Amino acid sequence: MLSPERLAQPDYEYLAQRHVLTYMEDAVYQLLENREDISQYGIARFFMDYFNSVCQGTHILFREFSFIQATPHNRASFLRAFWRCFRTVGKNGDLLTMREYHCLLQLLCPDFPLELTQKAARIVLMDDAMDCLMSFSDFLFAFQIQFYYSEFLDSVAAIYQDLLSGKNPNTVIVPTSSSGQYRQRPALGEAGVPEGVEASLFYQCLENLCDRHKYSCPPLALVKEILNGVQRLTFYGFLGTLSKHPGINQALGALPDKADLMQDPAMDEELERLLAQVPGLVPAVTATPELGCPPSRTPPRVGSPWRPLHHPRKVDTESDGSTEETDESET
Amino acid sequence: TATLPAPLPSAKMAAVEKRRPVGTPAASFTDSGRPSVSRTAAAVESEEDFLRQVGVTEMLRAALLKVLEARPEEPIAFLAHYFENMGLRSPTNGGAGEPPGQLLLQQQRLGRALWHLRLAHHSQRTAFNNNVSMAYECLSASGRKKKPGLDGRTYSELLRRLCREGCAPEEVVAPLLRKIQCRDHEAVPLAVFRAGMLTCFVLLEFVARAAALFQLLEAPGLAAADRRVGQAVLDTLEGALGAGDHAATPACYLEAGSRLGPDSLALAMDRAATGRRPSSPMAREELKKAAALFIAKVKPVG
Repeated sequence: MLSPERLAQPDYEYLAQRHVLTYMEDAVYQLLENREDISQYGIARFFMDYFNSVCQGTHILFREFSFIQATPHNRASFLRAFWRCFRTVGKNGDLLTMREYHCLLQLLCPDFPLELTQKAARIVLMDDAMDCLMSFSDFLFAFQIQFYYSEFLDSVAAIYQDLLSGKNPNTVIVPTSSSGQYRQRPALGEAGVPEGVEASLFYQCLENLCDRHKYSCPPLALVKEILNGVQRLTFYGFLGTLSKHPGINQALGALPDKADLMQDPAMDEELERLLAQVPGLVPAVTATPELGCPPSRTPPRVGSPWRPLHHPRKVDTESDGSTEETDESET
Repeated sequence: TATLPAPLPSAKMAAVEKRRPVGTPAASFTDSGRPSVSRTAAAVESEEDFLRQVGVTEMLRAALLKVLEARPEEPIAFLAHYFENMGLRSPTNGGAGEPPGQLLLQQQRLGRALWHLRLAHHSQRTAFNNNVSMAYECLSASGRKKKPGLDGRTYSELLRRLCREGCAPEEVVAPLLRKIQCRDHEAVPLAVFRAGMLTCFVLLEFVARAAALFQLLEAPGLAAADRRVGQAVLDTLEGALGAGDHAATPACYLEAGSRLGPDSLALAMDRAATGRRPSSPMAREELKKAAALFIAKVKPVG
């Protein structure tokens, strides 16, 4: 059925809201980069392939970070790609460090900034012991809100800091709002005072923020639900709850529910098919336990899709390029 | 290159991912950082020239105009479809070598006409009318031997395909097709073609909405709705359409509209549901009556 408001929008607004020009412009850049393709297949075919790949969400693979974060659709597509590529990590129960997750991210986006991965890891680890191991799903859901709502979370961090230091963020960010009502806030930072900020005050600030934020925000009703449940909370406490909230995940729409994270029969089938093509594959591959994973985790690894690919040299040679990219960024 | 800590089977995963038949050129975009910053003015100029020469500029302008005209809900999918159709049209992408037969050509023309017709919703009348004209032109440009023009056979075929792809039950649309069809050898003027297309699209949407309404009324698991409520809906509809019987003045459209407005329809349904008549189930089949009411108002061609 129709959503009629788009018919009444001014042209430019309609195009901007759906990022039509972003993609058209990118299509032209891609075309200029791949001129030899168009002499072979024709321009219409090139554009058809481009826009189809945008629809399918595969257009962000191996693209530069500035493009990956350019639109909400690109961000959701990247999250989906990351999940689909590396969900076997979660399936095997492997725990990785922040740096290792960053390597995975860079396999899909070579210039992915370390800062974002760090911020996501802080959500999981509550800003503590940053070299700890994290499970795939914990990292994925934290990374999801950090990456998708990046600008929103930056503003939230600023608000939180202001509240913590006793400033009223509303007076800083929106000079017109009256601030008298916030004065009775208890003094913070003293011994015996619980950490964090008062939830209801925090919510008022976030409500205000969502109103005027031009980037994506999580649904306000869900934020309210989270903040209504507590008296006080810390910044990372808030982000942790946000990342684990199934409603927020659904509203964002990039990933399945946590319970279904490891389910992807179509992908499994395809991997099985690929594995069947690799000659001389020994099913009972003995994987060297890495990362100090307890041996009890080994059984599910046998027959896991990527593990056997680890060994035949034939497959290895193809991935050299990506490994080198990762190496450079690591050192 | 093995300086990384051991746990990077992911590199292989990525290789697998790269080789997945995604059916897109995305994989070939590897390392294509956008060189926009370092581009010199001369290079920009030559790129603009290039784009103009190979026709990209013109092609994109036309595509953008179509997007703005149709205002699709999902413009990116719309564009993919748009360029797909354009690719089909160009001779380089025809059959592999052998010249396409008359039948295939006919199918391609029908496909293109359908594509034009679906570009804009019929309520956007200007865009819809433009697209109807485009579809008419597509269909009229026939083979070498025949004279240009649209014959009744093609027109009927198009109507049948529209209804089939609109997921309307055959027995529901058959009476409509009988009314607005032309004879196979007749020439179909644009005005008749336009009226036929419009009627067909309106009926399809009407049937879809009626089905949606029925689904709302349907008792879960029973596949049947409460007869009292269902009958009230049909009666309201009949009353509203019957009101326009006498004169084709704008006033009767307004009256029909107000009788079918959500509030009066809800009122009628509410009255029926609280009425004293015993309840009995109403099957989805009886929904056909709604379509029949609609079709009764359609003037036959000729």
